[in-house]
Amino acid sequence: MILTTIVILLTLLVLAVPVAAALGVLGLSLSGLYSPLPLSYAMGEIAWTTSTNFLLVAIPLFVMLGEILLRSGMASRMYTALVLWMPWLPGGLMHSNIAACTMFSATSGSSVATAATIGTVAMEQIQKNSYNERLFLGTIAAGGTLGILIPPSVNLILYGVLTQTSIPQLYLAGLVPGLVLASLFSATVLVACIMKPAWGGRRTAVSWEQRLRALPDLLPPVVIFLAVIGSIYAGWATATEAAALGVVAALLIAALHGAVSLTMLKTAFEGTMKTTAMIMAVMIGAYFLNLVFGATGLGNLASQAISGLDLSPVQLFLLIVVFYLILGMFMETLSMMVATVPIITPIMITAGFDPIWLGIFIVVMMEIALITPPVGLNIFVVQGVRKKGRIEDVFVGALPFVVMMLVFVMLLYLFPQIVLALPEAVR
Amino acid sequence: MNSLLKASRCVSLAGLYSGGALILAAAFLIGTDVLMRRFAGVTIGGADELAQFALAMGTAWSLGGALFDRAHIRVDSAYSRFPLQVRAILDILGLALFIFFFIFVTWHAFGVLGQSWTNGSVSHSALQIPIFIPQGLWVLGFVSFLFIATILLLDAVGKLMRGDFRAVSRVIGTKSAEEEVEEELALARATGEEADRR
Repeated sequence: MILTTIVILLTLLVLAVPVAAALGVLGLSLSGLYSPLPLSYAMGEIAWTTSTNFLLVAIPLFVMLGEILLRSGMASRMYTALVLWMPWLPGGLMHSNIAACTMFSATSGSSVATAATIGTVAMEQIQKNSYNERLFLGTIAAGGTLGILIPPSVNLILYGVLTQTSIPQLYLAGLVPGLVLASLFSATVLVACIMKPAWGGRRTAVSWEQRLRALPDLLPPVVIFLAVIGSIYAGWATATEAAALGVVAALLIAALHGAVSLTMLKTAFEGTMKTTAMIMAVMIGAYFLNLVFGATGLGNLASQAISGLDLSPVQLFLLIVVFYLILGMFMETLSMMVATVPIITPIMITAGFDPIWLGIFIVVMMEIALITPPVGLNIFVVQGVRKKGRIEDVFVGALPFVVMMLVFVMLLYLFPQIVLALPEAVR
Repeated sequence: MNSLLKASRCVSLAGLYSGGALILAAAFLIGTDVLMRRFAGVTIGGADELAQFALAMGTAWSLGGALFDRAHIRVDSAYSRFPLQVRAILDILGLALFIFFFIFVTWHAFGVLGQSWTNGSVSHSALQIPIFIPQGLWVLGFVSFLFIATILLLDAVGKLMRGDFRAVSRVIGTKSAEEEVEEELALARATGEEADRR
């Protein structure tokens, strides 16, 4: 039964059947093959409850928040300001790239759009200031992945909904690891540029007057972050309500800049709803498949098969790391999460792992998936912005950061408090 | 065929715009509700429910727009290595299965709608909205999506029959990362120009 499932799923995916339909068709086939009762009757109810899930309302809201930031030009102004503030470290602007990505991550969830925007502004700096091209490209690709770890995060919402884990707790849990990982990225750049000073590029002199003048451009992301995250922990708002406050704040700030127009709104609406429809279609398929997994006992069967291997927690952890590392080379993160989280989390929770810690661990593995060849969405985006040279340059440039992320995953295992301290303190 | 395609393009764009407007309205409604609850101690009541209906309706009516823009994710690691002819056939197979799954979803959604109608169900909040209203608009969104998807499928099959594989891939193929980035950049440039003008 497990084998049949894997074969059907892989066949559908290799044939590039849209993920939503692949999950749905797999559900229908399994229900036809193994279920004593036809499960399809539940489909209508599942589609309606999924489509009206209040937690999932947060997804279009966060996508829209990101769209407003991008389309109003706030995003690129922020990068320009960070460029003025960060160039004193060895490695110069590469730290600005990471800092800009971190700050974006605190307001939005779309790593593709972020990497494209930062990439466009940052790219001209490589030649102008003679940076090591590969490492520079790597900072943008790797920094962009922070978007799904630092709250708000669409992937964490997805994990929370799929496993019924508290989303505010997950957000809190993502904050410290996000900042630690960003610092590790910066440290990687620092070490590389101390060893090879030539990689670090030329510094440009910046006056304090220029810096202070650019300071207001850093304000909008801070205000939006406070509106979103502050309102959750002040106890004013749930995760979804906080997302709504973020959208309102972003739109008001954009309006203050005179950047709101009908064209801008239409573009933002279009982008938001296309992404939302795509995610929701996948969710409907995934929820149906989950029901089939439960009803046919497949979930239990899978966990029995793995517990039959009699692995210690360390072995199980390493097995899952390798599993996601390999899967992540070929799959896109949302579909990967929807397909694996409902099966893997129960197994790992039974083995004694904390559900909140697991959410963060899985999201870090998704970040790695975004920059490992041959399929790494962030790599494609950075190469696309660059429009010249070979894509291998970006992969090679991102490699040190992949190694750093694997080290970070081990740290998470050895010191789960990196993840759990903050949510436990607030609980 | 062309006028049908044009009409579906219009319907799907209208779906995206109105879906986005619904979500934005929901954001303002929820935002106001949170602030009023905090500072005035009153609640609008039912803001969350309206947002839930906005999500359902917005999603159903945006499925077509996402399809036109080839935004529904497909895993293309193997696909992108196949020759053009094979890809065109897979494009058609993928779309056909997508339609098949949503015919099934829509069919059962009709069942849920019928039940709400006969039971006269109303929503939980004080608003007491008859459920068949949002549910009906939701099902209608699915139906419109099925129409759009079928028209696209027929168009693609016609192109395949004529042996125009490239055209098939243009209408329903996966979007390469390159195209995606191109679009993102065009938008970024447009944003920049608009900012410069100010």
